[in-house]
Amino acid sequence: MPIETPIDVPLQAYLVLAAVLFCTGVWGLINSRNAVRVLMSIELMLNAVNINLMAFSSYIDGLEIRGQVFAIFVITVAAAEAAVGLAILLSLYRNRETVDMERFNLLRW
Amino acid sequence: MNRFPLYRIGGPSRLRTRAAAATVRSTRRSFEADMDLFGVLPALTELPHLAAASLASVPLATAPAIGLGITAAQLNSGAIAPEAAILIALLVCLLVDLAGEEAAVRWVPPICYAGLGTALVLLARQWNAPLEPSFLGSFLADDLAVAFRAVVAASTLLSLMISWRYVERSGSPVGEYAAILLAATLGAMFLCGSTDLVSIFVSLETLSVSSYLLSGYMKRDARSGEAALKYLLVGSAAAAVFLYGASLLYGLTGGSTGLDAVGVALQTSATPVTALALVFVLATVAFKIAAVPFHQWTPDVYEGSPTPVVAFLSVGSKAAGFALALRLLVGCFDSFDTQWKLLFTVLAVLSMTLGNVVALAQTTMKRMLAYSSIGQAGFVMIGLVCGTEDGYAAMVLYMAAYLFMNLGAFACIILFSLRTGSDRISDYAGLYQKDPLITLGLSLCLLSLGGIPPMLGFFGKIYLFFAGWADHQYLLVVVGLITSVVSIYYYISVIKMMVVKEPQEASDVVKAYPPITWNLAGMGTLRTALVACVLVTAVGGVLSNPLFTWANGAVTGTPMLQQSIASSAAREATAIAAAPVPPTPAILG
Amino acid sequence: MTIASLTQLICFAALSITLVVGSLGVVLLPNIVYSAFLLCGVFLSVAGLYLLLNASFVAAAQVLVYVGAVNVLILFAIMLVNKKEDLAEIPRLALRRLLSGGVCLGLFLLLLRVDLTTPWAVPGPVGIGEGATIRIGEHLFSDYLLPFELASVLLLMSMIGAIVLARRDVFGSDLITGEDVDQGLIEKVRPPLLLDPTTPSPSALQETI
Repeated sequence: MPIETPIDVPLQAYLVLAAVLFCTGVWGLINSRNAVRVLMSIELMLNAVNINLMAFSSYIDGLEIRGQVFAIFVITVAAAEAAVGLAILLSLYRNRETVDMERFNLLRW
Repeated sequence: MNRFPLYRIGGPSRLRTRAAAATVRSTRRSFEADMDLFGVLPALTELPHLAAASLASVPLATAPAIGLGITAAQLNSGAIAPEAAILIALLVCLLVDLAGEEAAVRWVPPICYAGLGTALVLLARQWNAPLEPSFLGSFLADDLAVAFRAVVAASTLLSLMISWRYVERSGSPVGEYAAILLAATLGAMFLCGSTDLVSIFVSLETLSVSSYLLSGYMKRDARSGEAALKYLLVGSAAAAVFLYGASLLYGLTGGSTGLDAVGVALQTSATPVTALALVFVLATVAFKIAAVPFHQWTPDVYEGSPTPVVAFLSVGSKAAGFALALRLLVGCFDSFDTQWKLLFTVLAVLSMTLGNVVALAQTTMKRMLAYSSIGQAGFVMIGLVCGTEDGYAAMVLYMAAYLFMNLGAFACIILFSLRTGSDRISDYAGLYQKDPLITLGLSLCLLSLGGIPPMLGFFGKIYLFFAGWADHQYLLVVVGLITSVVSIYYYISVIKMMVVKEPQEASDVVKAYPPITWNLAGMGTLRTALVACVLVTAVGGVLSNPLFTWANGAVTGTPMLQQSIASSAAREATAIAAAPVPPTPAILG
Repeated sequence: MTIASLTQLICFAALSITLVVGSLGVVLLPNIVYSAFLLCGVFLSVAGLYLLLNASFVAAAQVLVYVGAVNVLILFAIMLVNKKEDLAEIPRLALRRLLSGGVCLGLFLLLLRVDLTTPWAVPGPVGIGEGATIRIGEHLFSDYLLPFELASVLLLMSMIGAIVLARRDVFGSDLITGEDVDQGLIEKVRPPLLLDPTTPSPSALQETI
């Protein structure tokens, strides 16, 4: 009976990749001055989480693949969050005419 | 190869059969059995999802006839009947809103009251009901969840009662406002009972996304938009961090997302990964309950959001955050309780100190209440750190007390800003001559928040401190007592501003105070909510026995908390038996 | 090493290089439009990784939702708010970036240590392969039914909320009293008590709106 060959790329490779992506996202979150770019950085972080979930799902949980279901939920929620974020940004842009994070200072940070 | 969380799937009948056959093969077979259900489900899937979500009213009546797959009893969908009532109210609100703004102003309030009232009644019927996991382990309606869900639903009810006039006066659409607030409630209530990482994530995000929308609801006001944007960015980042922790936990369990499986896996796991997961998860919890140093969003969001929304965020959202903290830390990270208790001790000390000290310097009521709510969260954390029966009961009691006193205070400041358009503390000078009701209500609520006897807040606080002292949390109790005194100072200074000033010292807005009228739509409910909150705050302290019984019942009726209490007692007993000399009680527990 | 596994390795290397370079471009490039297109590349290479992991359904969802919806939304938002702005200089910007870079590097080393030292339970059971889509559907209608239904509420609410916030209408008057309204907070901005002559007061900012 032919046994499916295990995947050759180790699990850790995916995890490290996700860690790189996550930290890039965190750096962008802290340093971006454009609010749209901050939203993009958050998307990067969420994608890193998804890579983690998918890697665990296929290496550890190949039968039940709960990680894939989890990742689908993350994708759904991320889309909703991006839509809401851009709507808020748009309404704020109408009032302030800027997307510069440093100038959102009506409220003391 | 016993990594499959069989005990989670299905109700008690399946629990017995499956526990015997814990092999991969039997799992496969039972899943094939489950698949037969999907012959039945197309009828369900063709319904819109929303209709399917109100499963309480649409039970899967066809499934038992097949005899296989998931039956309605296994789903135990009755557990979410209160949420179903709120969901129906939400949908009806949206439908009514289609008929135009006039119809919405007329009909949305009664619909919301009906939905939330039904939810509260249904919650009362769930109290002490036989405990069964519902939705195949996604949700658990234990007494703790019922208590916190009741706090959330009541806070929404009161927040809605004080919102109508505010929202109409600002010219924002009422129907959508109510719908979004109800969706936030739905998320918060599901969050209180979720026992699965996926449900926790989705309900957390439902609460958060609705909260972002609500804080940005005054869309022509730059402060509101800014508050919403900051809340959204910080909140989404916190969610991403939580998810990273959750993905590590998923990897640790070897393929399960249930909290009990996570708890089992954590007992045998290596240190670095569990520590990291603990910190990531804890950061999110601390963000939600606004504990220092994860509090930076709070003052801005509270200042920039519409005031009724702040009322909901400071009570409902925070209660859900504490329920999540209990579920995750006590239910899941129980084997690391020394670590997380130490972390929470630090958070509690920082929150109490910073919240109460910075509140001294504030010049607007909303911002002062924001910092005071950070301090109040610190007090509640004392109960969490204790981990004793009294500690948990004191948490529940204080959340309930906080509901009434904080919402009473918010009702007063909303009324004041509706009449004068200001929330600056100095503008309250000399108010008692023009508006005795606001003066009296705000004074009583602030005294209660400060913990002056015989108000409700005093009994809540004394119970918390008593529980902390009994558990040798001396540092926390001492810091709590000192910061309480500080908080009394700034609460009293507001009262002094209102009461002691001579008529000629009154502020300009008070001198130009409009005649008091209640005949506008929405003002009557505002008055009702204000009077009710103030009454409960003032009289509830003396008659607080039912509340004590209720809070204690919530703890004794919750197996998760009882297990944790028993296991920590057992650990203590073995520690005492092992050591010839009784160990000196550590200050930090 | 067989041809198949070599191909897989090469694909993984190519995808991960695209991913890392793309994500660095997203956060570093000065022009935000380029960032948005690079983000598209990042999403696509993540989808490629999912294909390598035998998850065709999630890969399709990734392409449809992230590339098709989120990225297009971001591009629209960039076009709508793309006014040329002169960003005011921030003192010690380079130091701030360096410092936060150090923090992120520390975080990365921590994550690296956790990823590499934890004894993950590999290899797990043999993968389900092409049956994955069916299994996902089973999960969505059995043990993840509650979050699945709740997600529909979340999507409905974010749709309604986004429309309410982004549309331009303004109610001219209070429906009950007939007064003029401005869809702003009731608590109006007031000049601070101790006016600092050097900084513009918030009320001045508010009046320009």
